Amino acid sequence: MLEVRDLAAGYQGNDVVHDISFHVDEGEAVMIIGSNGAGKTTLFRAMCGLSRPSSGVVVFDGEEVTGMPAQRMVRKGLGFVPAERHLFPRMTVHENLSLGAYPKRPDPETMSVVVGLFPRLAERRRQHAGTMSGGEQQMLAVGRALMARPRLLVLDEPTTGLAPKLAHEAYEALAVLRSQGLTLLVAEQQVPLALAFSDRGYVLENGVISLEGTSEELAADPRVRSAYLGVT
Amino acid sequence: MTAIVLDGIVLGLQFGLLAAGLTLVYGLGGVLNLAYGQMAVITAMTVLFAMNAGVPTLAAVAIGLVAGGLLGLIFDQTLLRPIYRRQGEARVLLSLLLTLGVAFMVDGFLNWRYPTAGLGLQISGGPIEVLGIPMRRGSIVGSVIILIVFALLFVFFKGTSLGRAVRSVIEDEEGARLVGIDPSLMLRIILIISGVLAAVVAVTQSMIRPVTVTAGFSITVFALIVTVVGGLGSVTGALLAGIILGVVNSLATSFIGTFLSLIILLVAAAVTILIRPSGLLGVRE
Repeated sequence: MLEVRDLAAGYQGNDVVHDISFHVDEGEAVMIIGSNGAGKTTLFRAMCGLSRPSSGVVVFDGEEVTGMPAQRMVRKGLGFVPAERHLFPRMTVHENLSLGAYPKRPDPETMSVVVGLFPRLAERRRQHAGTMSGGEQQMLAVGRALMARPRLLVLDEPTTGLAPKLAHEAYEALAVLRSQGLTLLVAEQQVPLALAFSDRGYVLENGVISLEGTSEELAADPRVRSAYLGVT
Repeated sequence: MTAIVLDGIVLGLQFGLLAAGLTLVYGLGGVLNLAYGQMAVITAMTVLFAMNAGVPTLAAVAIGLVAGGLLGLIFDQTLLRPIYRRQGEARVLLSLLLTLGVAFMVDGFLNWRYPTAGLGLQISGGPIEVLGIPMRRGSIVGSVIILIVFALLFVFFKGTSLGRAVRSVIEDEEGARLVGIDPSLMLRIILIISGVLAAVVAVTQSMIRPVTVTAGFSITVFALIVTVVGGLGSVTGALLAGIILGVVNSLATSFIGTFLSLIILLVAAAVTILIRPSGLLGVRE
């Protein structure tokens, strides 16, 4: 469904990530694991069309979409939830969700699926997004992305700033989405949570992919265990 | 006293409308259009020439509105292209320099070719009493038009999905892109609206006093003051600040003197910046 080949990207000519190649098949949940500054955000921004990659190829659904702006990617079915969420702070929860379906009118069925997944959003319908807690904002960001009915949802560190309990809840919600057939690609530094949830993963270190494998393989790998799982 | 406040509100509505066109473009694109007053003057001249050519007044006004929208579109397609390739402060700075340059060119040209031209729309009929105060018919008609325009703006921004999409770009440009909204398309729409608003400014002002070829810079200056007080990117802020400043200006003029009213407005703007740097209802920067 998604294939990235030899991607390089960065800021103002200085590449932060190099030679990135990976793929996500339909129905999979794939993790990109990496610590702060490893280049996860740079990679996702370039892949999802928020910035231009300096080289490489991105193929989505058999079509080359390298450098296509994010506003067109989302209409093709690739939804992206960035770590900073980028909600509309002075709009209500309902307005944020409705805009997720832009330019179509929000589909009532999708809306009820979203609020079924995150009942808090229904309770806070009329509240301004900017006044909500971090966890609620994260729910809203995911909900807004779902309103466009994506086939692939890309999430950058969905648990940033969340308490452990909320981080668990976030992954429970993602598991529900997965069971409904949504393909997921998630960047995460909370590795235990990530590996428990996903089928496969890639380890991103200093801007290159240093390791890849199934989640079981990664969880058993001594390097992953010492660097990310705190096991020596 | 009532008369002074009513005068202030009439003026304030004008101020608010001035600021609306400027603040939207700034809020959306980070472009401060210093040629805004000249856009209003060009539309005023368009209406004037149409009327001189024998076009009935209402039709001439309609031509002026269309001209305003076209002017906004031309602005978006030409001058703003290089500005958009910049980010942040460089964008604001370049927009100031380029639009100021255009403002001088337009002013120079109009002064050279039509030094004495001025658009004055006569609204026939006697004064209308409001709260027992006889008000000039032109003031009342102008104010009603402005209120209708604001009502339309509110309906557009709150009630239509296109309006919401425009607001979303003001709120968070990247967030807007992530839901499939093209910011440059929204900006084009806003520039067209801004141009039409400049035309409405010209038409409503001309109902009270003639809009001359030299009016451009003073229109821009007042629009800037109101925008600063109201907050960048907020139409409601523009209306609120416009009315407040209009009343302040009117009170200052009658109790202190006309010569000080501009200074008092500037002081009001300075105090607002000190207390609330983002304006009354501004989008936080």
